[in-house]
Amino acid sequence: MIRMFHVYKNYPNKIQALRDINIHIKKGEFVFLVGPTGAGKSTFLKLIYRGIVPTKGQVIVDGINIARLKSGYIPYLRRNIGIVFQDFKLLYNRTVYENVSFGLKAIGATNFEIRQQVNKVLNLVGLEHKRKIKPHLLSGGEQQKLCIARAIANEPLILLTDEPTGNLDPYTSWEIMKLLFHINIRGTTIIMASHDKLMIDKAKKRVVRLERGRIIEDTQRGTY
Amino acid sequence: MIFENMGFYFREALLSFRRSTLMSMATILSITTILIIVGVFLLISINSSLFLKNIESQLEIIVYLEDNISQAEINNLKSNIASIDGIKEVKFVSKEEAYQRLLKDLGEQKDILSAIEKNPLPASLEIQVKDPKMIEQIANRIAEFKKVEEVEYGREIAEKLLNFTYVFRRAGMLVLALLVFASILIISNIIKITVYARRNEIEIMSLSGATSWFIKWPFIIEGFLQGFISSLFSIIILYYFYIFAVDKVHQAIPFLPLVVDNMDLLPIGIAIVLLGSLVGILGSMFSVGKYLNV
Repeated sequence: MIRMFHVYKNYPNKIQALRDINIHIKKGEFVFLVGPTGAGKSTFLKLIYRGIVPTKGQVIVDGINIARLKSGYIPYLRRNIGIVFQDFKLLYNRTVYENVSFGLKAIGATNFEIRQQVNKVLNLVGLEHKRKIKPHLLSGGEQQKLCIARAIANEPLILLTDEPTGNLDPYTSWEIMKLLFHINIRGTTIIMASHDKLMIDKAKKRVVRLERGRIIEDTQRGTY
Repeated sequence: MIFENMGFYFREALLSFRRSTLMSMATILSITTILIIVGVFLLISINSSLFLKNIESQLEIIVYLEDNISQAEINNLKSNIASIDGIKEVKFVSKEEAYQRLLKDLGEQKDILSAIEKNPLPASLEIQVKDPKMIEQIANRIAEFKKVEEVEYGREIAEKLLNFTYVFRRAGMLVLALLVFASILIISNIIKITVYARRNEIEIMSLSGATSWFIKWPFIIEGFLQGFISSLFSIIILYYFYIFAVDKVHQAIPFLPLVVDNMDLLPIGIAIVLLGSLVGILGSMFSVGKYLNV
């Protein structure tokens, strides 16, 4: 699903965010991306959804070389990728329902499809009874669930999550993790950047450790 | 694709008006103010242009004729002059007519003329030229005709006046260009603020896989509506203000020429609508573009 060959990424301020990254993530895998702040986790995720292009090397996502992707085709790549941000990026002047339907409208789904999909994912994350309220009335965990619902609404092949349990209590974190496992079992490849030692140790999934832009460890059923 | 979604784009644009009523009203108010300033200047400039043209058209050549000229010679001279390039009108003023005019100009003091037995005034031709700049050249040619006693055209005054109108027009154009340029900058910056307030939406749409035009259209329509509505407001305000001002000026200075024909004012209205709408459209397009590169 995702392959990287000798990928380097330098930012204009000469910081080497990634150095010689080689990785293969198969379809349906669940991968934790761990490492200290500034290790290159966010850069790694941005490369996948083509928020940035590599300075050197190849990034192949679902058979597409993202460095050679013309800007007009970027939207179509992103329709296969769901993204859950650390800072939620919810629209606080729209309802829970509208937050999910917004992204579907953006890719040209019909009203019927939108209604069906939004109901389905809100059910999945357990927010169907809060569909008419605005996100600022939700708890932190619920907001994170809403982000996940939005990210998976168009059934993407890949789900990227950047520290989704960062600001949540252990109980709520585990709930979010269970939700992600559930989505993973249905076939979605998930890459999750995280610091959450408790969750990672409990999950027993593949762990890729980044440090100063390099992969220094890559273990199946790893621990933090 | 574009037209299929037009309904959605319009709804989104209108929804955004409703979601942020205060912001939209502030935007429209600011753009209206800028457009009114531009409009006031445009009104001043068409009126001063009319004023200058009026002054320039009063420049004329007066050809005094010899007293012994016959009617046939007058006709001949008239047609000869009329055939010169750049002549607008040639008008014959007989000795008698000149006398009557003088009487009228003197008004109550006309008694002084009773001291003179014979009419001392010469017959003349009053000549208007198409282009005031040609006046000297034409006057010199007419002076060479027979039976012409003297040619007068107020040479120094004409030169000074033409110099003044030239500089005045150029300065006006420069100020207008600067003003339009400044208004474009200000309006597009106002629009930029409204787009900035919604940068999260742009980012989310872009990351959800919306094409850039899909994201841009609602903003373009919103920018257009903001510019268009502002221009309508400013035209209405300008129009009533102008009618009021013209009335006041005419009360104070009755003979001052002012542009009052609605057809002559129409280009200003069109210019304001174009300025508002186009800058609204382009401003939002470029501002959205800035936040699209996530």
